[in-house]
Amino acid sequence: MAFSNPETKKISGNMPSISGAQLSRKSSKLSSLKRDYQLWIMIMPAIAVIIIFNYIPMYGIQLAFRDFDFTKGLTGGQWRGFYYFEQFINNYQFKDLMTNTVVISLASIILGFPAPIILALIINQVIWKRSKKTLQTTVYLPHFISTVVMVGLLNVLLSPNTGIVGLLMKHIGLGDIDLLGSTKAFVPVYVISDIWQHCGWNSIIYLAALSSVDPQLYDSAKIDGASRWQTIRYVDLPAIVPTMIILFILSMGNVLNTGFEKVFLMQNALNLPVSEVIATYVYKIGIISNQFSYSAAIGLFNTLINFVFLLGMNFIAKRFSNISLW
Amino acid sequence: MRFFSKGKTASDMIFDAVIFILSVCIFVVIAYPLYFVIIASVSDSTLVSTGQVTLIPKGFSLFGYQEIFKDSRIWIGYKNTIIYTVLGTFINLLFTLPAAYVLSRQEFKARRFIMFIFIVTMFFNGGLIPTYLLMKDLHMTNTMWVFIFPFCVNVFNLIITRTFFENSIPKELFEAAQMDGCTHFQFFGKVALPLSKAVISVVGLYYLVGHWNDFFTGLVYIRDYSLQPLQIVLRDILVSNQVFSEGAGSGGAAGGYAQRYADQVKYAVIIVSTLPILIVYPFIQKYFEKGVMIGSVKG
Amino acid sequence: MKKVVSGILALSLSASMLAACSSDKASSGQATNVGKDGRVQLTALITKHPLTEDVSKMKWLQDVEKKAGVDIKWQQVTADWGQKKGTLLASGDIPDLIIGPNAVTDADYVQYNGLFEDLSKDMKSLPNVEKMFTEHPETKQIATQLDGNIYGLPKYQRFWPATATRMFINQKWLDKLGLKMPTNWDELYNVLVAFKKDDPNGNGQQDEIPMDFAPPGTISGFFEPTMLLGSEGITLTDASGNGYFVENGKVKNFVTDDRFKKLVEFLHKCYAAGLINKEVFTQDYTKFQSVARGSGDAAKVGFTWGWEVTDRFGNQLAPQYTSMPQIKESADSTAKLSWSYDYNGLNYGANMITMSAKTQNKAAALKFINALYDTKVSMQVLFGSLGTNIADNGDGSYKVLPPADSKMDPGTWKWTSTWADNGPMYISDNLKLTLGTDMQSVGKQTEPLAPVLNAVDKSKDVFPGMFIKYSKDDNSKLSLNDTNLNTLVLAKYSQWITKGGIENDWNTYLNNVKKAGLEDNLKIMQKYYDKYMSSQK
Repeated sequence: MAFSNPETKKISGNMPSISGAQLSRKSSKLSSLKRDYQLWIMIMPAIAVIIIFNYIPMYGIQLAFRDFDFTKGLTGGQWRGFYYFEQFINNYQFKDLMTNTVVISLASIILGFPAPIILALIINQVIWKRSKKTLQTTVYLPHFISTVVMVGLLNVLLSPNTGIVGLLMKHIGLGDIDLLGSTKAFVPVYVISDIWQHCGWNSIIYLAALSSVDPQLYDSAKIDGASRWQTIRYVDLPAIVPTMIILFILSMGNVLNTGFEKVFLMQNALNLPVSEVIATYVYKIGIISNQFSYSAAIGLFNTLINFVFLLGMNFIAKRFSNISLW
Repeated sequence: MRFFSKGKTASDMIFDAVIFILSVCIFVVIAYPLYFVIIASVSDSTLVSTGQVTLIPKGFSLFGYQEIFKDSRIWIGYKNTIIYTVLGTFINLLFTLPAAYVLSRQEFKARRFIMFIFIVTMFFNGGLIPTYLLMKDLHMTNTMWVFIFPFCVNVFNLIITRTFFENSIPKELFEAAQMDGCTHFQFFGKVALPLSKAVISVVGLYYLVGHWNDFFTGLVYIRDYSLQPLQIVLRDILVSNQVFSEGAGSGGAAGGYAQRYADQVKYAVIIVSTLPILIVYPFIQKYFEKGVMIGSVKG
Repeated sequence: MKKVVSGILALSLSASMLAACSSDKASSGQATNVGKDGRVQLTALITKHPLTEDVSKMKWLQDVEKKAGVDIKWQQVTADWGQKKGTLLASGDIPDLIIGPNAVTDADYVQYNGLFEDLSKDMKSLPNVEKMFTEHPETKQIATQLDGNIYGLPKYQRFWPATATRMFINQKWLDKLGLKMPTNWDELYNVLVAFKKDDPNGNGQQDEIPMDFAPPGTISGFFEPTMLLGSEGITLTDASGNGYFVENGKVKNFVTDDRFKKLVEFLHKCYAAGLINKEVFTQDYTKFQSVARGSGDAAKVGFTWGWEVTDRFGNQLAPQYTSMPQIKESADSTAKLSWSYDYNGLNYGANMITMSAKTQNKAAALKFINALYDTKVSMQVLFGSLGTNIADNGDGSYKVLPPADSKMDPGTWKWTSTWADNGPMYISDNLKLTLGTDMQSVGKQTEPLAPVLNAVDKSKDVFPGMFIKYSKDDNSKLSLNDTNLNTLVLAKYSQWITKGGIENDWNTYLNNVKKAGLEDNLKIMQKYYDKYMSSQK
C-alpha cells in the first residue's frame, strides 16, 4: 500500500481538473440531451428495432469460425479459426468464382447505375402530360415480373430458333450468336435484361428528387436564354446529384453481390464458365450437404470485401463532394 | 402544349423531337414483352414456347386464370397480403420517417455514429438460424406480426429519406421556425413532412412493394395456411403447374396432361399478382409532378 | 408526436401480447394431445408432390389414422423444402413425423444428433417394417446408419422398371425413307443425316430435328446421350449424375475415360452436321418436351430419349415412334453392350419417414408408421384409395383403375390422388396387383433393352450407392469435390459437343479434373464400395 500512495496522490492531484472537464462535458452533454430530447424520442423506435432484429442475432457470425454442432448450440461447436475461409480461398474454383462475380456486378453497376438517371431526365423532359404518365407507368411495370418468369421470357424471346429477338438478330446478320448459350453473351444479356426490368423502377427516386426543384429556377433559366440542354445540365442535374452520390456509394457496397436467383436460372451447360458465381456456388454446396460453417464463412468473406468497398467509396465521396453516408 | 408556343428556338424543337423519338423507342422496347406476357397468359403453352405466338394470342384459353382462381386459398392470400402490406407500410413509415429526420439534423451529435451502426446492418447479419430462434423467442413465428415488426426500418430507405430531408428542406426554414419557438416535433409534423410528399411516396412505395412481394417471411416463419400471404399461394400454384419440368423418370409425373397449359399459369400469376399494385401507382405518381411541393408551400 | 410514440408502444405491446396469446393457445392444444373422437393428436409434415391434393382428404389415409387411433394435423410442403428445413431442424422445432423422399437426409441425422427417434429400438412395435427387413434385407441396409441406429425408414415399391430412360426413333420416318433401324453409331449418323435432308415429315420445310436430348444439369442424367456410353461397355447407375460407375469391381469415373472422349467426338460430329437440336443445352425441360410434340401430325424430332412414348411425344404422335435396343459403337465393336441400370434408384428410397425423439405419444406414432407398411395400405399409398383408384377383385388380387377423368393420364391421376412415390411403403413381392396402362406400356417399351439390362452383372458393374452410408467428413468432401467437378466437366462437355476441340483440350482437362479432386473421391468411394462388397459375402 505504501508505494501505491504516490500514484494515488498523483491522480488525486490531477483530480480537480479532470472532474472539472468531466463536469463541463457532462453539462454540455446534458444540455444537448435536453435540447435534443425530442430528436432522441423520434429516433429511439428505429434504434430499438435495429438492435433487436439486427444486432441480437449477430452472434451467429461466429459460425463462420466454428463447426456447427447441434447438440451444443449454435455457438458451442469446435473453434476452427480461419479453416473455412482457407477452404474457400484454396478451392479449385475460387479464382473463377471471384472473376465471374466481379465481372457481372461491375458490369451491372457501370451500365445499370446511369440508366435510371438518364431515363428520369428523359421522362422529365416529355412535355405532353398524358404521354409522360403512360411512359412512366409502363417503364415501372417490368419490376413486378418475378425472376422465374423473367428468365422464362428471356428463353422464349431470345431463342435462336423461335424467339422474336433471335429472329431479329438473324435478319441483321447476327444469327450466329446464340444469346442464351454463349459465354460472350451471358453478361450482356444478364445486365441488359436487368436494366430493362428495373430501370424504370429505379428512376422513381430521381423523379422524386427532380420534383423538388424550385420552378422559379426553370423560369430564370429561360429568361437567361438557356437552351433545354443547358437547363438539364445546370438545373436538373444538380438537384439529383446528392441522391446519385449516395446511391453510387451504396452500389459499390455490392461489388460481390449478384442476384442469386436470376444467375442460377439463367445458367446452362454452355455459359457455365462465366455464370458460376459465389452465390450459386454457395447454393450448390449448401443444398447437397449441410455446409453451414463453410457457407457462413463464404458469406462473411463476401460481406467484408463489400464493406471495405463501401468504406472506400464513402471516403472518396466525402473528400470530394462532402456528401457521405455518415 | 408548349410545343407550339411562340419563341421556341430551332434547337429546342430538335431537342423535343429527340426526346420524342427516345421515348417512343423506350416505350416499345418495354411494352412489347409486357404485352407478350399478357397474350402468353391466354395462349397454348406449346405454341408459346415454340415461338409461334408473337402478336396475337393463339390457342386461346383461360385455363391459367381458372387454375388460379379455382383455388380458394387465393382469396385468403389476397386478404392477408393486403393487411400485411397496409399495416406494415404504415409501421415502416412510422419508424423510418422520424428517424430519417433526426439523422438529417446537423446539430444532432450522435448522427454519424448511429448512421454507421445502422449501415453495418446492411452488410453484417447473424444468418437465418439465429434470426429464426429470435423470432421464436419473441413468439412471433406463425403470427402475422412477423410480417410487420421485424426489420421495419430498412436502412436503404432510411438513407434515401435522410438525403432528401438534408437537401430539399432549406435550412433557413428551420431557423425561422425555431425563432418562432417551433419544436422539432412541430417542425417535423407541420413543415418537413408536408414538404416531403415526393420522398414519402417513393419510400412508401418501396415498402409497400416490398411487403407485397415478400414471400420469404411466409416461407420460413409461417406454418398455418390461413396466415400465408398471396405470394406463397401463387408460388404453390405455380409450382404445381411446373412439375412437368422435373422429368418423369425418377417417379415424376408421367404424362402430358395439363402440360399444354403449364406456362399459362406462369404468366397469369404475374398478372394476378401485379394488377393491384398497378392501381396504386397513379395515386403516387401525382406527387412527382414538377415543382408541386415547393410551389404548394410557398403559394 | 408524443401520441404517435405512445401509440407505437401500445401497438407493439399489444402485438407481443397477442402473439403470446396465440402461441399459448397452440401449445395448450398440443399439450392435451386429444384430437377428433378422443384419438391421439399428432403433428406431421409431408413434402408432397405439387400436384397432390390436400392429404387430409385422402380416404385411405383417414382410414389408417382412424385405425391407428391417431388424428394428424398435417403441414404440407410442396416447394422450397430445402430452405424451410434448415431453420426447422436447427431450431429443434419439428413435428412428430416428417414424411417424404429423403426429406431428412443421412447427413441431417448426423448433424442433428438427438433430434430424431432411433427406431431400431422400437422394432417390436413395427412388425410390418420388421417383415420388410427380413424379406428384403437390403432395405434394412438402406435404413441403418453407420452407428447402427435407424432414424429414417425406406420404401420398396417393386414394380418400377430396371431403367428410367428408353431410346426412341421415329419409325414412320424410317419407313418412309426406306431406312433400317440403326444398330451402331455410324448407321445412326447416316439415318440422322437422312432425317435432316429428306423432309420425312413431308411439310416441305427442313424443320426436322434429327436428334434431341434433355438439357443436362449434371454431367449425365436420364434422357441424355450418356446412355450411349453403354455402347462402349460402361454401365451407368441411376444415370451416374456425377460420372461414377463400377467396372469389374473398380470404381471409376467416365469423365476421364477415353470412351467418354469417343462419345463426345461422335456427338460433336452430329452437332457440326446440324443433326442435334441447336438449343439442346439452352432449352429447359418444358421446351424439350413441347418441341417433340410437333404440330398436328407432323412430327419434329427423329431420335431421342424419354420415359415413355406418350409422355414424350403426346398422344397424337406417339404411334409414330418405337423404342430401340441399345446400339453398338461400330459395326465391328466387340464391347459388351450396356445401359443405365436404375432399378435400385427407382424401386428403393431412403428416409421416407422420420419420427421426432420428442414425440409425446410414441406408441401412437409408431402404430401409425407400422400401419403404413402394411402391404395393402402401402399399395394405396402408391396408387390411391381402394374403390376409387384400385379395385379389389375379390380373389385376393387387385387392379389399378384408369383415371376417373378420361382426359387425364394415369400418372397424373396417381400423383393427384395419393402420396404416390413420395410415401413410405412396402409393396410385398406376393401382392397380386395389375398395373395401370402407363406402367404396362413402360414395361413394354423397356423390352428392347431387356437383354442388355439382364446381362448387367449386378455384383460387379453396378454402383450400390443406395446402400452405402458415408461418414460425415467423407460425405462433405465428396460433395464439395463433386460440385467443382460438375461445373468443370459440364462446361467442357457442352463446349466440346457444340464447338469441338476435345483433342487439343484433353490433356489440360485431365489435369484440371485431377486438381478438382477426382482422385480423392475415387479413393473414398472405392473404400466404401469394397467394404460394402465384403459385407455382402
